[in-house]
Amino acid sequence: MRTLRSAVSWFMPPVLESRVAVLRTVLYLFVIIDIHFLVRDPIPLSRHPELYQPLMLERLLHLPPPSVPLTITLYLILVVGCLVAAANVLPRLAGGVVAAAFTWWTAIGMSYGKVDHDHLALVVALWVLPTVGVIADRWRSTERSVQAGWALRCIQISVVFTYFLSALTKIRSGGWSVTSWPESSILLWAIVRRPHGLGQFLAPYPELLHIMQWCSFTAELTAVAVLWLRGRALLAAAVFWMSFHIFTVAILYIHFAPTAICWLAFAPLERLGPWLRRVKARRRQRTGRRSAGQSVSVFRDHAVDSTG
Amino acid sequence: MGERVRGISMPSLAWRIGATVLGIGLLLNGSLRMSDDAWPFGPMSQYAFSPSGDTTIVITRVEGLLADGRRVDLPLRVETAGISRAEIEARIPEITAHPALLRSVSDGWTSRHTAEPALLRVWLVQDQTRLIDGRIGPTRLVELASWELPS
Repeated sequence: MRTLRSAVSWFMPPVLESRVAVLRTVLYLFVIIDIHFLVRDPIPLSRHPELYQPLMLERLLHLPPPSVPLTITLYLILVVGCLVAAANVLPRLAGGVVAAAFTWWTAIGMSYGKVDHDHLALVVALWVLPTVGVIADRWRSTERSVQAGWALRCIQISVVFTYFLSALTKIRSGGWSVTSWPESSILLWAIVRRPHGLGQFLAPYPELLHIMQWCSFTAELTAVAVLWLRGRALLAAAVFWMSFHIFTVAILYIHFAPTAICWLAFAPLERLGPWLRRVKARRRQRTGRRSAGQSVSVFRDHAVDSTG
Repeated sequence: MGERVRGISMPSLAWRIGATVLGIGLLLNGSLRMSDDAWPFGPMSQYAFSPSGDTTIVITRVEGLLADGRRVDLPLRVETAGISRAEIEARIPEITAHPALLRSVSDGWTSRHTAEPALLRVWLVQDQTRLIDGRIGPTRLVELASWELPS
């Protein structure tokens, strides 16, 4: 019973709701970026119904095949919904609409043969963030809740599972062998297929590529441990994974931006609101001091320009 | 600390526990047993396979013959052809059986390059690079399909 209770409290720690309020703003604004720069092809793809092959999700829900009016409607819903939800207004309604519309939008983008795996954490985030409900005072909230803790924990788990499950798939695809993927020519294969970045300089050194594969595979396999890290150790893990993503961009032009942004679920975002208020107050104080020093004449509420 | 903690009802707690168990279960099941079709619960299969040191690496491209006689590459990117390489690669068997499916590329390219001469014919080709002992070997060009655009 005690084990069950401690497992539940690990999955649902009471966390400041302001952290969720800030994360909502960031992630909903990121979705707008995403539909313009990452999963940006549903509208052009919907012009080719002959290439559409619905995913299981679309078949199970009997979703209609994408058409141009449908994808444009989804696009408009996403833009409006994200702007509303980013302001922490109508969080359940706007958040729920964005979650459904973005899941459908992304599913359409993946229904023409290519399925990406960088959106797991973001899709999960969009489904769990509305469940926290209304956060009074939004970024200024000083209330804690297990609802906020659960939502954040789900996003954190999705982030580390993106890596861990990737390692698991590598073991599975290699015939349940731990060494087949790290010892394969996968990085060279990727560099030949994407001959853009720094990868071309690494191509003549297959031994070095094998070492890099071992490092990334080990990191992915052990990524779940991040869930139990705190303080500087957690910061070090976040820095490591951000460097990993920058590295893959540099050598292959492959980014995992939707996963990377969800790392913010680990960050003490609740400090952002008070920090911004301090910066604003300091600036106001400085401006006040400067205007006092200049001894500007004031008539009613307006400063009177002495040079006028 | 002066912070309040919002309460939670038993049903709220229960559905969250259920959703967590279900979600983790679906993800593990997807990675251990399913295919990409199960997205978002499918396996993380991007770059997850293990090519050998003597594998052949293919880059699929589409080339087009313009009315002025030039044969040009039609880059398979959303912004240039309205469709990306991976989507065409996923449909190679269908395209070789029905080359008219290359219309998706020719239409997408033509609508984005209105100043260029008309496209007369398109080819689905592959640059096939062989690895030898884990190092880059020779590359050859292979034609998979061609389609003449209706005039």
